Amino acid sequence: MTATDLLVQQAINGLSLGAMYALLALGFTLVYGILELINFSHFNIFMVGSFVALMALEAMGVVGQQTVMSGFPLVGVLFVAFLATTMFTGTLGVLIYRFLLRPLRGVKGPAAMITTIGVSYILFNIVLLTIGADAKNFPNPLPPIQWAIGGAVLRLREVLIWVIALLLMGGLTYFVQYTRLGKAMRATAQDPEAARMMGVEVDRVIMTAFFLGSALAGAGGMIFGLYYNFTSFIVGFNAGLRAFTAAVLGGIGNVPGAMLGGVIIGLIEAVSGQMIATGWTDVIIFSILVLVLVFRPSGLLGRVAPNKS
Amino acid sequence: MLTRRYAIKTAAAVAAASGLGGVASAQVADKVIKIGINLSFTGADATSATRIANGAIMAIDEANAKHEVKGYKFEAVKYDDGTATAGQYDPAQAATNARKMVSDKDTIAAVGPQMSGAGKAMAPILSAGNLAIITPSSTNPDITDPKFAQQYRPAGKAIYFRTVTTDAFQGPNMANYFAETLKVKSVYVLDDSGAYGVGLADAFQGQAEKKGIKILGRDRLDPKAADYAAILTKIKSLNPDSLFYGGVGQAGTKLAKQAYEIIPKVIKAGGDGVYSPEMLTAVGFPAVEGWYATIASPHLTEDDKLTKWVADYKKKFGVPPEDYSITSYDAALVIIAAAKKIAASGKPVNRDAVRDAIQSDKVSTLQGEVSFDANGDLQSKVVSVFQIHKNDAKPLDDIDGQYKYVGVAPQA
Repeated sequence: MTATDLLVQQAINGLSLGAMYALLALGFTLVYGILELINFSHFNIFMVGSFVALMALEAMGVVGQQTVMSGFPLVGVLFVAFLATTMFTGTLGVLIYRFLLRPLRGVKGPAAMITTIGVSYILFNIVLLTIGADAKNFPNPLPPIQWAIGGAVLRLREVLIWVIALLLMGGLTYFVQYTRLGKAMRATAQDPEAARMMGVEVDRVIMTAFFLGSALAGAGGMIFGLYYNFTSFIVGFNAGLRAFTAAVLGGIGNVPGAMLGGVIIGLIEAVSGQMIATGWTDVIIFSILVLVLVFRPSGLLGRVAPNKS
Repeated sequence: MLTRRYAIKTAAAVAAASGLGGVASAQVADKVIKIGINLSFTGADATSATRIANGAIMAIDEANAKHEVKGYKFEAVKYDDGTATAGQYDPAQAATNARKMVSDKDTIAAVGPQMSGAGKAMAPILSAGNLAIITPSSTNPDITDPKFAQQYRPAGKAIYFRTVTTDAFQGPNMANYFAETLKVKSVYVLDDSGAYGVGLADAFQGQAEKKGIKILGRDRLDPKAADYAAILTKIKSLNPDSLFYGGVGQAGTKLAKQAYEIIPKVIKAGGDGVYSPEMLTAVGFPAVEGWYATIASPHLTEDDKLTKWVADYKKKFGVPPEDYSITSYDAALVIIAAAKKIAASGKPVNRDAVRDAIQSDKVSTLQGEVSFDANGDLQSKVVSVFQIHKNDAKPLDDIDGQYKYVGVAPQA
């Protein structure tokens, strides 16, 4: 491998990671933009999503590393699993909001945030106790197709991650920019009181944000499983922390910022593993976060939060 | 429904019956003495933990059934040093467990821990309480090394015994195997940041250098991270003959999966941390095919003399044993033998006497005669090498079926 090949390969690795972090970061950002709440249950909604996808795939007979599919059956199976996962986690997010967070609206202080931490631990332990502590094998139905770019290798699974992530992010951007509900969401993010006065159903908007954010986390969980071929009750913590960092790095509350932050964190992770040592990856990622926050406290693309005036 | 009157009647009847029973047998009830079993029942090493615990439980149940020690009955008390947040053993939890054992006067000795990182946290506390523990699987040499006596046995006496040898042999012997049997010229070394993993990788690396194997690099994996593509890509660009991984299942399973994709042709090996059902269940074939693993004990589960024992174990627990189930059984045997000897001499069976008896005894066990040096290390130093090779005739999560024994690693 030449130095260029190596760089290309690490860029491929980093972009795949980044796509996953970006999907997850969007959930933090959507909720924060409207409620100014950091939703820590998001960490483990992602993890639950990976298990729902695992169960959906296994229910359709896609088990272990041996089942390889292609063409329409593959697309169909992935699509059904995707729908099941996003619907499940989206609904889970809405339920968490409706029953645990809405009663706390208007309560000052960190009560809501602490609640989300509690919910996160509840999800974590439910999975631990019902499914077990060991890592579970995630099916790998993708055919082993790969392309050579010079000396670097691009695998089908990387392309799949990018395509799914781009489609979802494109869809989300369209939704937020051009649909009625999306406009209502932006209006609520700017000024909930004014939006309410203009006839926006704020509660519905918030639920939509929770649904979309959690569905994206579920999608992220499914992609995680397909990419790494394993899942375990513990996977939410690391990915969640990095995605949260990505959201802050890009400017929390800012949708394009979350995507940019995700990709940057993914690339840093790959490049620092190559140039320095993987043992130092966390130190590097979080040092960069601290530096960015010192010099640009609102993140790279600027923070978006409800207008308090 | 249980009325109050009925309840009183029942209670009275039970009391009478038990009283009568006491009179009929005319015997004082056996005194219960406890043996702690501290392993990592939560997290990535849980499957192994259960199979290891089963070994000790089997020995204890057999001793109770045979009334091995007159006047005493053993009770196995399980302690879990794994926590959900750590995802594997947690040194803080291990320390808590050690305190619990020490504070329970009826606990005369313990089997465990599974992991060296837990052992390092437990040893000083057990030393202060003079409670002997026999590990069936933790192999980091520091804990019993007299150089670190101040740290791990501040009270002076050895309390940390082993029915396996240490990484001071496991790592270097495997390096010899790399050089002499596999004819490896270059290696990249990884560890999982844990006490065991770092120690094993260091010991391997030192001997590999002496043997003239080129060390192309050394890096550390975060066991909680999911993605090792960056480091594996770097390794691929260096084009080594082999990869040695010092560490346990949490990072090991992910490493094996991703290494298969990125560096499929490189020879891959680890220590006893990758000799586990987790490698088979969480990685699976074909990714896990070809991995080398070692254990710090003789290979016994396929030994002809143990056929009946293995069958009994499977019948009792419904799962196959691993070699560390045997070293765990042996550890319990040593404790039981110590208690028996003390009871026979008419002295009370307490932890001080048990420690001294363990230190000085020679006990005949499944792996042969077990005795310890002054530091608590096992006298015999055998390292067995295995290679994972798919065997469709056996269950795919069966260690014996899928890990093929390839011989004893040359002694360093």
